[in-house]
Order: sequence, then C-alpha cells, then structure tokens
Amino acid sequence: MPGDPVAAIAARMAQGMSNATGVQAVYEQYTELFGTDKPIPEQFVIYLRNVLRGDFGYSISQYPRTVGDVISSSIGWTLMLQLPAILVGWILGNLLGALAAYIRKGFDRVLMPASLFLSNLPAFGMAVILLVIFAVNLKWFPTSGGYDYAMVPSASWEFMWSVIVHYQLPFWSIVLITIGGQAIGMRSMAIYELNADYVKYARFLGVKDSKIIRYVFRNAMLPQITGLALSIGTMVSGALVAEIIFSYPGLGNTILTAVRGGDYPLISATTLIITWMVLLAFFSLEILYGLIDPRIKAAQSE
Amino acid sequence: MTTPMTRAMLEVNELTTRYITRFRESIYAVDHVSLSVGDGKSLGIAGESGCGKSTLALSLIGYYFPPLHYTSGEIIIDGRTITGMDPDEVRKTILGREISYIPQAAMNALNPTQRIIHFIEDVVLAHHPGTPKKEIYERARERFELLGLPASVLQKYPVELSGGMKQRTVIATSVILSPKVLIADEPSSALDVTSQKMVIKMILDLMDKGIIKSLVFITHELPLLYNVTDDIMVMYAGQVVEIGSADEIVFDSVHPYTRALMGSIIVPEKGLRDVKLTAIPGTPPNLKNPPSGCRFADRCKYVRPECRVAPVDLHETASGRVYRCIIPEQELRTLYEHEKR
Repeated sequence: MPGDPVAAIAARMAQGMSNATGVQAVYEQYTELFGTDKPIPEQFVIYLRNVLRGDFGYSISQYPRTVGDVISSSIGWTLMLQLPAILVGWILGNLLGALAAYIRKGFDRVLMPASLFLSNLPAFGMAVILLVIFAVNLKWFPTSGGYDYAMVPSASWEFMWSVIVHYQLPFWSIVLITIGGQAIGMRSMAIYELNADYVKYARFLGVKDSKIIRYVFRNAMLPQITGLALSIGTMVSGALVAEIIFSYPGLGNTILTAVRGGDYPLISATTLIITWMVLLAFFSLEILYGLIDPRIKAAQSE
Repeated sequence: MTTPMTRAMLEVNELTTRYITRFRESIYAVDHVSLSVGDGKSLGIAGESGCGKSTLALSLIGYYFPPLHYTSGEIIIDGRTITGMDPDEVRKTILGREISYIPQAAMNALNPTQRIIHFIEDVVLAHHPGTPKKEIYERARERFELLGLPASVLQKYPVELSGGMKQRTVIATSVILSPKVLIADEPSSALDVTSQKMVIKMILDLMDKGIIKSLVFITHELPLLYNVTDDIMVMYAGQVVEIGSADEIVFDSVHPYTRALMGSIIVPEKGLRDVKLTAIPGTPPNLKNPPSGCRFADRCKYVRPECRVAPVDLHETASGRVYRCIIPEQELRTLYEHEKR
C-alpha cells in the first residue's frame, strides 16, 4: 500500500527498540490486526462484512481509538455548526432575494452585487477574511478551536460560553456564503413568478397584493428547496474548509487528519457517511416535493 | 349605426392610455377611443395583431400596471366614473365586481400550486371579507354547475385540467361575483375548434343567464364576432376606424381597412363565401412615431395625397355610419362597386 500506514504505526510503537526481530514482530502483529497481509479483494470483503455490523475498524492515525469512536466524537460538532448555519443562511438568503425582487430599485442594486460577491467568494476566502478582521485585528473572537484549549468539556456555564464564542466565526462564514447564493436564486425565481400570467389575472380580479405575494413566494421557493437539500447533503464535505481554517473539531477536520495520516479506515468511513447524507437528503427531497408541489403528484398519477 | 341604445353599462369617452418604455418614450396604444355598451348588449373589437386590442382590454378595466399608464379620458360603469378613483378603491369595489376580465392565455392564468376553490376563496374574500368558506364553496359550486362545469373541478389543481377545461374554469372564476361588464380578450384563440365552440357558447350563456349584463369580446377573427356580438368595432394602430352593428361591419363595411380585413379572411357566411382572399400589403405603422395623416394611408388601395396631410377624425355620416376616412361614403361605395366588376 502506498505510504504503508501500518508501517507508520509499527514504527511509532517500536520507537526506542533496538532489537530488529522485536521491531519485525511488532510490525507483523499490526499487519495481522489490520489484515493488510491478505489480498486486496479479500480485505474488501472483510471490510464490507464489518461495516454491515457497524464496525469500521481501528483508526490508524489515532490508534488505538476505533473509527466509530473518532467519528462519533466529531460528527456532533459538524452537525451543530453546519445545520443551523445552512438553515439560517438559506432562510435569510431567500427572504433577502424575495425582498429584492419585490422592492427592486435601490435595495436590489445593493443586494445583487453583494450577493454575487459573497456567493463567488471561496469558503476559505470568507473564513480568512473573518478571521483576520474579527479574531486577529479586533480580537473579538478566538482564532481557532471549538472551545478553549485550557478547558475540559463539561456541562458548566463557562464551557458553554466558550463554545458559543468559538462558534461565531465559523458559523457566520458559512451563513454569509449561503446567503449570497440563495438570494441570487430566489431573486430571479421571484421576478420570474411576479411576471407570470396568474399574477396579472389575480390582480385583475382584485385579489389583495398580500395574497398574491404569498402565491409568488411559495412558487418561487419550490426550486430553492433543491438548493437546501443539496447544501445539507454535502455539508460535511462542502464546508470542510471553514472547519479546517478555524481548526473546528468537526468531521471536516477529522477528514483532513485522516488524509494527512494515511488513515485509510477513517477516510473510507467518512466518505461513506458523506455519501449516505447526500442520498438521504435527496431521498427526503423527493418525498417532500411530492407533498408540496401538486404538479409532481399530477405527473406521477398519469 | 350601432344597435338601438339601452341604458349604458360601459361607457368610454376619449380614453387614451400609453406605454412608457424604459427609455422614457411614450407609445399611445389606445388613442382617444370612445365606445358604449348597453345593458344586455355586446360589443366585439377586431383588428390585426398589434393594433391595440389587448391594450384596450387592459385599459378598460381602469386599473393600470406599469408600463401601461392612464393618460386621459373616462370610463363609466353603470353611471359610475372609475377613472380618477383611488387605485385601491378600484381594486376593492370595481375589479371582479363591476367589471371583470378573461385573459388571453388562460393556460397560465391560474396559480399552479393552488386548488381552484382556494383561488375563488381569495377572490371572494378580497371583496367581501369574512364570507364563510362554506358559503363561498356553495356559491362556486352553483355557478360552475350552472355553466356546465362539474363541481369536482373546484377541488383540482390547474395541472389536472385540460386546456379547454382550464379556459372554462377561468371564465367561471372571472364571473364568480356576477360583474356587470365582462371583457374577454381572445378567450378562444389558443384552443382547438371544439373547445373554442364550447367557450363561445359559455360566454353567450353568461349573457342569457343574466350573470353578466354587458360583454366586450376581443378577437382578431372578425367573422367570429358576427355570431357573438351585437356591435363590432374595428381598430387600427390604436384608433377606432369603424364602428357599427355586426351586420353592417361584416356585410356592408365602409372603411377600406375593414373591407381589406374582411377580404383577407375565409368567411363561411352566405354571400361572402365566394369572395377571393387578398392579403393586406405592408405592416401597421410604428406607434412610437405614428404618421401624421391617416394611419392606414401607407397600406390603403384608395390613398390620396390629402390623406397624409392631417389626422383624420372619426365621423358619422347622414346615413348613420361611423368611420375614420376622408373619402365620402358614397364615393367609397362607388370605388368598391367599380372593383367588383
């Protein structure tokens, strides 16, 4: 295997040993433990069998922790950071886009370029900008971590406060980028819907503007839900960069350490989780669409 | 002469509306149009594409959205002048209640994600807040059944209806509040012949059953109007060129444009069947910069130098015909006779 990870562990464990046979014995022991002495197809079958039982094996870079243990301690941080950030960004982005489409004029002229700028800024760019302004120059927020390094995770108020303070920069860097993309999409959808024939017809029958706006935004919102599902599905990989820059103890950081350490079991497991999340998000989306968009239901019943 | 006057339901005096483009140019698509439709009467408006028919339909409603703007003139519905009223007041008390509208493209006139009954609820509640939903449903059901539509349509989404059904649903929805005047803007032109016939029958039913009192029917098919409306008005380049009873316009028109329009369409009516089809050469003038004289001059067979000098007025002859041409009626008739031979 390239950069044989087992050799790295063996070297670590055999540190200080001068006996060549002893080192050899340690290496063989780990080779057997990770099963790297078996042919690749066989290794794969064993891996599949173990995964079905919920066993992802040992992490190589963080041995003796298991992969399951490493992921379960980091996935919570990722979900807690990204899910609210994506939802807040999506809601704010859609509201701003809808307002821009409805008000037009000056509001639109400011929001549109701003959104374009935000959405095209790479995640690391946004993270670095926030980091430099608010953490390095203004020193309002800490530069990295999920909580103060001097603390031990506990249910105390101090620890909670530390978590909240550390939360802000990564959270807003994701929110801002999400707002940009969603606002642009919502704005063009809403403008399209505002010019639809049904809007004119409803107006000519004297239907109130507040009602008509509700029709328009509901219809403009439907395609935006795809964007939401996409963001949620790919959140682990998508905003990985934000986590890395802020050294946030989430899944993104775990992936980075895994790749650096040649930790194949951990890489496989995180990739698998990302795949599941994307599939799950799209599956939920399909079901949701059937419930909220009558056009989909009508197409199915034909 | 138009058909004998009963009490006017819709009266329009010198109405002018214009489009203001992004470059601040004004386009007068409805230019000093006057018309009157009596109680129980119907008026057809005909003309080729771009003559201002649809703009006139939108203008008659008295509620304007940019880029269309009201310029001058008045609209009187059953004795009540609606031009100059507060737009919000017009929306609440006039639209849908006094005057209603059937759009050209009924295919997309209904919100795709809303059941028909919910849209009807919104329409009724906008005018009569607090009406119980049950009452609205009963009223909608009654109205739909009276017009030959199954009540089950009410619970459906627009996508579940066929094109003809959608158009008929739109018509029934437009008259849910029993408006006095109904403006139908080419309600049948996007449909196949069978659906067209059903739609026309339904609109005539609205008159017969007393749901509406007066009808304005807009179409580019002049002969269709003969079977539908009492009077016909022909428009060209934003102006009225001739107005008269259906018989007069279809069989005995005076204005060269009306003649040309009739000559360019296959007419199944007796006496007109064998007429040779002739196209009208050229295209209508650009309304951004209309010609100073007669607007039809460039395409008219009988054009004279004096046609291009000054704007031509709509005038009534001694025999009661109303048209916009400087050539006297008798002289025009002689020209037409001469051509036949």
